[in-house]
Amino acid sequence: MTYSFPPDLHYDRATHLWVRDDGATLTLGLDALGLESLGDMAYVTLQAVGVPARRGQAIGTLEAAKMVGDLIAPVSGVIAARNEDVLHDPGLVNRDPYGAGWLARIAPSAWAGESAELVSGVQISAWVVEEIKRYRSQGWIE
Amino acid sequence: MTTWRLITDDNVSASFGLAADDCLATRVGTGESEPTLRLYTYRSHCALVGRFQNLDNEIHRDYCAAHNIAVNRRPTGGGAIIMGADQLGVALVLPGRADDSYSHARELMAQFSAGVVNGLQALGIAATFRRKNDIEVKGRKIVGLGIYRAGTGLLFHASLLVGLDLPLMLRVLHTPFEKISDKEVATVADRISTVRRELGRDIALEEVRARVADGYSGAFGVSLIPRVFTAAELDAISILQSQKYETAEWVEQTTSVPDALGSAKLKTPGGLLDVRVTLAGNTIKAIYLGGDFFAGEGAIAELEASLRWHSAHPEAVAVTLTAAYAARAADLAPLPLDALTQTIQQAIRRAQVAESAARSDPYGCFVTPNVQPQISNLEFGV
Repeated sequence: MTYSFPPDLHYDRATHLWVRDDGATLTLGLDALGLESLGDMAYVTLQAVGVPARRGQAIGTLEAAKMVGDLIAPVSGVIAARNEDVLHDPGLVNRDPYGAGWLARIAPSAWAGESAELVSGVQISAWVVEEIKRYRSQGWIE
Repeated sequence: MTTWRLITDDNVSASFGLAADDCLATRVGTGESEPTLRLYTYRSHCALVGRFQNLDNEIHRDYCAAHNIAVNRRPTGGGAIIMGADQLGVALVLPGRADDSYSHARELMAQFSAGVVNGLQALGIAATFRRKNDIEVKGRKIVGLGIYRAGTGLLFHASLLVGLDLPLMLRVLHTPFEKISDKEVATVADRISTVRRELGRDIALEEVRARVADGYSGAFGVSLIPRVFTAAELDAISILQSQKYETAEWVEQTTSVPDALGSAKLKTPGGLLDVRVTLAGNTIKAIYLGGDFFAGEGAIAELEASLRWHSAHPEAVAVTLTAAYAARAADLAPLPLDALTQTIQQAIRRAQVAESAARSDPYGCFVTPNVQPQISNLEFGV
């Protein structure tokens, strides 16, 4: 099994959320490894547009494989958009995690500092290798 | 040796029972409360839906109101259940780890359910954890499971059927059936079991509780210390009860994920196959494979379990069915796999069509208790 990690994205180590810098906004989603261990998404909720987001704090909730947990923001700012298609069809996240399955867009307030906390560029490859090893050693993926 | 607190309480209200577990999860996560195993019962009866389910789609509200059956919403995922004096509630509350916010739900479920499995096996019941997150005995579900991550606290929920008033459950919970007769009760009885049914005797819930407690002690190598809620916890629970679990905002919330029913029938060489599915969005929430064909004991229940809370995508369904079918091929021989797959996919398509049609009607709801499944007697050749 191979896991795709587009090189132009930034990745949060703890949550396996990806972040794409679109200029005025940041787009968020779940990465392939995070989704593999989560399973099929059954439900997603997201805070409304205009609600502040803070890195490390919940901006929504998700349920997969009968586990419910908070969706933790990897960046701070204000929620600028949320993917209504995903709210209606959470499986879209599993089917197209880096495209149509995006979760939310945030107008950032601290991107310069917070982006340094994320994995990006030349760091991605080594991080992914280690994460796959870790997940396999724990039995979370095959 | 590590110690956990053991709380046993009985006859609790729906709102207290849920608020207590939710509150402990947060407090154990922050270190304000100690790791706890709570083994308890609700006052007979209450109907509890999973975290994101649409209440009106799951529960017969009028019946519950007329019979004083409380209705509420769990913080954990999964489906709708009834709870009362004959169902043991299990809440295992432990601190989580900071480095894996979402990962390995399935592995956590297997790990946390070990205590229940051990307890049932100690009673002589051949219970096993199933990867779709239930505990079963010969293909029949005997325990429902769910997990809630509350910040850095983890709440594992299990509802263990010591006994069950099955006709009552079918009057309280919605099913894909148009009516409930002895036949439908028997259909559901083929898919569910209880401790008393498996043992063939009337065991007291207290004895089951003691075995489950021993089961957790053994599975985790911990010593269980019987204690009660602290005063601070009771205060916090009371606040959470009134601010969350007794509010319409929590109990009556809905999601954007639509429910839809669909069905299909097919005459196979082995007999009539009647498939009914309930979708939550593009997830198979429930599936019944009925008809007049013969299959080995538990084989149909296992097929159904393999597809519950599963993607409704046709390829994913085909892959899972193929694997599940292969595991019980001898027992399922009268029912050809390709016919089974096609009929299930047909039922799913019909549910999706029904949901799309409902969405296009600006005055309709996605699903109401009065929505009938799309049933067709169209048959296609095998």
